[in-house]
Amino acid sequence: MAKYLFKRILHGLVSIVIVVGIVMIMIYSIMDRNLIFAKDNTYTHQSNNTKIVYKYQKWEDYGYLDYVPYADYLLELVDNGEIDEETRSKAVAIGRTEDQDSEIVQQYVKQFKSYYKSQGYKIKRLDAKMMNPKKVADGGNQQLFAYKDVSLASRLWKYFSNIITIDNINKVEDVEGKRGLTFTLYDPVYGGEKFSPAIIGNGTTHKYLLYFDSKFPYIHQNIVTINLGTSYSVNFGMDVFNTMTRAQGSYVKSTITYPTGLTEESADDLHSATYMRHSLETSRVYEARYTDDYTNVDTVKANKSKIGFSFIIGILATIMAYVLGVPLGIVMARKKDKLVDKIGTFYIVFIMAVPSLAYIFLFKAIGGKLGLPTTFNMESTNKLMYVLPIVSLALPQIGNLMKWLRRYMIDQMNSDYVKFARAGGLTESEIFRKHIFKNAVIPIVQGVPGAVLGAMTGAIITERVYVVPGAGNLLTEAISKYDNGVIVGVTLFYALLTVTSVILGDVLMALVDPRISFSTKDR
Amino acid sequence: MNNDLSEFGLSDEELFSHVDHSELESEKITAPRYSYWQSVFRVFFKKKINIFILVVLAIIIGFAYLYPPLIEYDKFANLLDASAKHLHPLPAMQKMGYNIHWILGAGAAGQSTFDAIWVGSRISISLALICAAINMTVGVIAGALWGFSRKVEIFMMELFNIVYNVPYLLVCAVLVMLFTPSFWVMVFAFTITQWLSIAYFIRTQVIIIRDREYNLASKCLGTSTVKIAIKNILPFMTSVIVTLLATEIPYYISMEVFLSYVGLGLSDMSLGRLIYEAESAMVTPGWGFEFWSPVAVASIIAVVLYVAGQNLGDASDPRTHM
Repeated sequence: MAKYLFKRILHGLVSIVIVVGIVMIMIYSIMDRNLIFAKDNTYTHQSNNTKIVYKYQKWEDYGYLDYVPYADYLLELVDNGEIDEETRSKAVAIGRTEDQDSEIVQQYVKQFKSYYKSQGYKIKRLDAKMMNPKKVADGGNQQLFAYKDVSLASRLWKYFSNIITIDNINKVEDVEGKRGLTFTLYDPVYGGEKFSPAIIGNGTTHKYLLYFDSKFPYIHQNIVTINLGTSYSVNFGMDVFNTMTRAQGSYVKSTITYPTGLTEESADDLHSATYMRHSLETSRVYEARYTDDYTNVDTVKANKSKIGFSFIIGILATIMAYVLGVPLGIVMARKKDKLVDKIGTFYIVFIMAVPSLAYIFLFKAIGGKLGLPTTFNMESTNKLMYVLPIVSLALPQIGNLMKWLRRYMIDQMNSDYVKFARAGGLTESEIFRKHIFKNAVIPIVQGVPGAVLGAMTGAIITERVYVVPGAGNLLTEAISKYDNGVIVGVTLFYALLTVTSVILGDVLMALVDPRISFSTKDR
Repeated sequence: MNNDLSEFGLSDEELFSHVDHSELESEKITAPRYSYWQSVFRVFFKKKINIFILVVLAIIIGFAYLYPPLIEYDKFANLLDASAKHLHPLPAMQKMGYNIHWILGAGAAGQSTFDAIWVGSRISISLALICAAINMTVGVIAGALWGFSRKVEIFMMELFNIVYNVPYLLVCAVLVMLFTPSFWVMVFAFTITQWLSIAYFIRTQVIIIRDREYNLASKCLGTSTVKIAIKNILPFMTSVIVTLLATEIPYYISMEVFLSYVGLGLSDMSLGRLIYEAESAMVTPGWGFEFWSPVAVASIIAVVLYVAGQNLGDASDPRTHM
């Protein structure tokens, strides 16, 4: 069993990598990359060479290619100590055309070109666009840069090697003070008097690596972070996993003592502090509050995350579906061809055939007439607003469960063992409960993990119609905003959930039905 | 004894004639004549509801395919007339005249909702039928091969696992962004991956039937695999295939509505697009009619096709022919 499961998991992981690869090919290679500028106002307002440079910069932001301007290359040389600032300022001034370059420029341009050409980059030099012989046209300044399309292999490797990051004390550059971890029993966030153990790092990305607070599950860690890809247009700079799991809604303010001792009503969550290079000296606000460069803090918000909302609605809908669908399916099978069965069949036909959009709107209209809230409002405490989304999600699931359970039970009813049980003198309800149901429910059991985990992905139409701030719309939003990072991240998340739920479903099936075995020996 | 037989009024020769053993006669099976398709239709039309469903289906198909060519539908004909927009049936008829065009009122551009629905239905039904035809043909053939061959099984299972995990919405989005969302691009988007799930379903059915005793016996007698597939298994699958077809067609209509709703639908005026465009009308009091009419028609089309297909599927199961 263990060997079989290991093989299955390995197999699943391989197919996930292939899926991510296919999605990457689809969005980075097949789709026209000029599409991202369709709704970009900055792009349309630019002209000449700046427009071209802007395009390459954006493509780098969206992850299509690697773009290096000549000026950045020179800056890097300065950083490495190869040239001094004076040479740089002379070398950076490239001529309007190639033959107008000064000698020093020619030397470094040549060096730039040969360096990047050897790494497979393409060099692009744009000569100045002139309005008249003396004046450069608007945005027509000369440009020099190197670019290279990111290959699928390196993209995949970079993506998967960055998924799990383990924080360590050498993670950030030029940190003040000694690198290391300190263990304290009295967390400074709580004023340093309350007993609350924490591990604080210096040189790590996160300041607090381990800490306790009053929120479930009470102990939190920042050592291992999951990184599904950075969002660009949906939620700028934010990781996809973070976008899905971080709290939403209005700020929750509380009295906070900053490291400098300043006490203030604020929503800042000091436990989430991450390192931001040289941030302390850039801002007075930071200087008044922080003593080091760990200034980038998240805020405490009142409501659940995207996944939180989707999951709570999805899981309640799933529970409702099983609680109602299974007994109804049994009743339909027992009263086959009677009135109950006919009504049930009518319901199944309705749910199966009518477009989902249509019946969701229908339930919304009916719910509205009954006085239930038809739109979701995060700030409201009214629990009734959950009712319509849950019902809308549960009704098709109920129909589906009824359909299959009825089918499986009726198939079992003609089996020999049922005739034998009947001949043995068991009552009908005993036969149904102890024999038919146990056999018919096995294929249903397989779907349970899928239903539970699937609740996390959210429902696109339901969430849109009831304005639920859930995870269901993340993919559609990312597609419409061409946010490649989010598309890849969400795909990976979905694929992970399906692969896991199929494996769990098989395991659960084997647990329920002792006849099913996965080890080849037993067969 | 002799007295008893005399009451039949037959001669001795007739009573006790010698019948030779005939090889040919003994091979004959004395059973009522049975024609498969005749029985299918006999069982199908025995249910009165099916006749009703077929009539509704005929009306819908008739309207969808014959009505639009007769009228010249122009969505923007009344665009400049502000008083012609978002009208209920009664005011619309009072304004435009009492004819069939305005019995469902007018839409956001002053167009006739009734005309728009049938123009849209034609596109949606055509899309569903073409996609179902392509997917069923490819899916059934691929599924049969998949179920029979172990080599194909290994490859197809991997392919299925991978394709199943690529978000379908993304496939559609890429195709729509790559090409303009025209009718045939939509057909392509609906067929490029969907045949796999049909093939998977058929494969499971084939595997169930493949190892039954009668097929093993047939194999032992030396029947070729192709003949087993066509003569032994395909007839068994007819009802399954018809039932599957019944769920497929509403699925494409539903899918098309869904894609339009998320903004990835057809650029032509399909039913899905009509519903999507009228969504704002649903929440506006008094405009509800232009939203609910296409929804109702889409639902009726889907339900009718579904029920007709299900019942045909039941009727094509030989076990119901007794």
